Amino acid sequence: MANLIFYLMAALAVVAALGVVAARNPIMSILALLGSFFALAAIYLVSGFQTLAALQILVYAGAILVLFLFVIMLLNLANETKLERIDLAMFHGRKAVWTFLIAGALLGISAFAALAIVPAAGDAPALPERGIDELQPLADAMFSRYLLPFELVSVLLLATAVAVLVLAKRNRGPLNLDQGGEST
Amino acid sequence: MSPQLLQQLFTADALWALAPLIALCLGAMLVLLSDILPGTAGLRRPLFLLTIAAAAYGAVHGFGAPEGTYMMGSFHHSHALSAWTVIFLLSGLIAFEFGQRYYKEEARFLAEHDVLMLTSLAGMVMMAGAADLLAFFIGLETLSVPLYTLAGFRRARSDSVEAGLKYFMLGAFAAAMFLYGAALVYAATGTISIEDMSGMGSTLTEPLALAGFALIVGSLFFKISVFPFHLWVPDVYQGAPTPVTAFMATGTKAAGFAFLLTLMGQNLASGKPVLPESAAWIVGWIAVITMAAGNLGALVQTDLKRMLAYSGVAHAGTMLLAIAAGWHDTEPHGAQTALLFYMAAYVFTAGGAFGLLAWMESEGGEVTIESLKGLSARRPMLAAAMAVFMLSLGGIPPLGGFWGKYLVFSCAVRADMIPLAVIGVLMSVIALGYYLKVIVAMYMQPQTQSHSAGISPRLAAAVATGVCALVVVALGMLPSWVLERLG
Repeated sequence: MANLIFYLMAALAVVAALGVVAARNPIMSILALLGSFFALAAIYLVSGFQTLAALQILVYAGAILVLFLFVIMLLNLANETKLERIDLAMFHGRKAVWTFLIAGALLGISAFAALAIVPAAGDAPALPERGIDELQPLADAMFSRYLLPFELVSVLLLATAVAVLVLAKRNRGPLNLDQGGEST
Repeated sequence: MSPQLLQQLFTADALWALAPLIALCLGAMLVLLSDILPGTAGLRRPLFLLTIAAAAYGAVHGFGAPEGTYMMGSFHHSHALSAWTVIFLLSGLIAFEFGQRYYKEEARFLAEHDVLMLTSLAGMVMMAGAADLLAFFIGLETLSVPLYTLAGFRRARSDSVEAGLKYFMLGAFAAAMFLYGAALVYAATGTISIEDMSGMGSTLTEPLALAGFALIVGSLFFKISVFPFHLWVPDVYQGAPTPVTAFMATGTKAAGFAFLLTLMGQNLASGKPVLPESAAWIVGWIAVITMAAGNLGALVQTDLKRMLAYSGVAHAGTMLLAIAAGWHDTEPHGAQTALLFYMAAYVFTAGGAFGLLAWMESEGGEVTIESLKGLSARRPMLAAAMAVFMLSLGGIPPLGGFWGKYLVFSCAVRADMIPLAVIGVLMSVIALGYYLKVIVAMYMQPQTQSHSAGISPRLAAAVATGVCALVVVALGMLPSWVLERLG
């Protein structure tokens, strides 16, 4: 039963991911992404990671997708960026060679990895992280073993906020530094 | 958090090991505050310099501190890490000094610029000290996200925005590759700790682990701009503001190589490489192809910045040769020492060359071979400094760049990779073709363009140029002094 759900959801995730790339309308792309996220959450749930599944839905399917939708709707991109059609002419010349080489290499490695997993699945090592899925062990691990990366993530977020500010702030011409800094 | 846990995590040794990281993060926040609080805008520059000095003090203290893994296995302190940290800080400092008065329209974002540089430096330290894949990945992102923005910092210029976007897209791709690889490695080994992996023997050569390591190393190759992931380099290096290019070319490369050395076991207590031995010749040939791609690309350039970008690719190839030799090197820390010295020289050489370029650019626009003609008559000191940088990049004795190359090639010879070392030396000869072109233009050809006449004196840039040139010469004259302290 669990296997059946897993394969169903895995197939759904892949199909939805293809839909993200193939959809001509950005809104449809996002809805396809939503499907992919939900399928992934279901896979987490079947594998026994209930917290991860909940976070996947809360953070990705909830917050991030809504942000995507907002941006597209606020900027009114829905119609302007609609692609006329999708065909192979988009990939031509040297670019196409690189695209197919890299995509092929990644697909090859994926297939290689998948084939390597299948025979090993029976005697797979019990992953130590399996036990930490309950909230309390998760918090314990986050604030002990993984404290340093966890803290550095906050620095990363600060840097990202500053970076976004630099890129997005409206330019009002050169500022005269003698006037004592800026007010906004 | 229980008191026992706190005591276990934050021992005095652990805090000293993390001192440079803590200083950089704290400094970034203080610089940000100085921008917000009224009347403290003038503190930006002193705060930045103080932060670098504090981090450098922490790093120098680290040379005498015991080596070991801290924070329950996230961070590994070694004396080599202290040396790498000093290199990162120098790279940041050089880029900062040459960035003084470089930005005009963007002057209102200078505080943000400095915050991004400091967080990026923190990311580099984390990458070099990471003892597991998670810590490394967070370090990699903390390095990259600020750099994407810094590359696109001159928002009014389309080439800068293009550089930022291109770097971001490919960086995101490389990050995804790393994560995919890390997931496969974790599935194969059941751990993310590199120290634990190094003791696993045959598990590391299972197909799953091999696929994972290939992806991880691929994403690192992207960061250090190695074939076939070097295609972004010319556009991004050329479009980014030149002080940022100096920072990317030296600091980012150093951080990538520092983690490659960790994967080669040279930063670990066990000293055993995690990457499979069968990759030695593949990496070696990639190194040689990278040298060829960089040098041949540089030969045909007339724009000095683009030429230096290709030359950076060639240098990455040379450094990769030391990594390739790491499996069979008879000296256990040969690659580490060679790369530390190479990078120490390269920080001053490339940092100085890009910095000088930034200085000239902010006066007269793009610097081409054409506009350099007759520079020795107009600005003899500048021309002399540029000549020193070019000769050192080309590997002419007795400058710092020569000893770096010598150490790398002797690694390859010790590891019985003599054909690769020979090709490497030949590549250095080809490289002289374009480095000497610059010198010939400066010293032997009369001025042809009028607009390139004036370069106004600027204290910060002049001091930085002078110090860089002197250090390059000093490293060439007294390599043993540095090597004794490194190894």
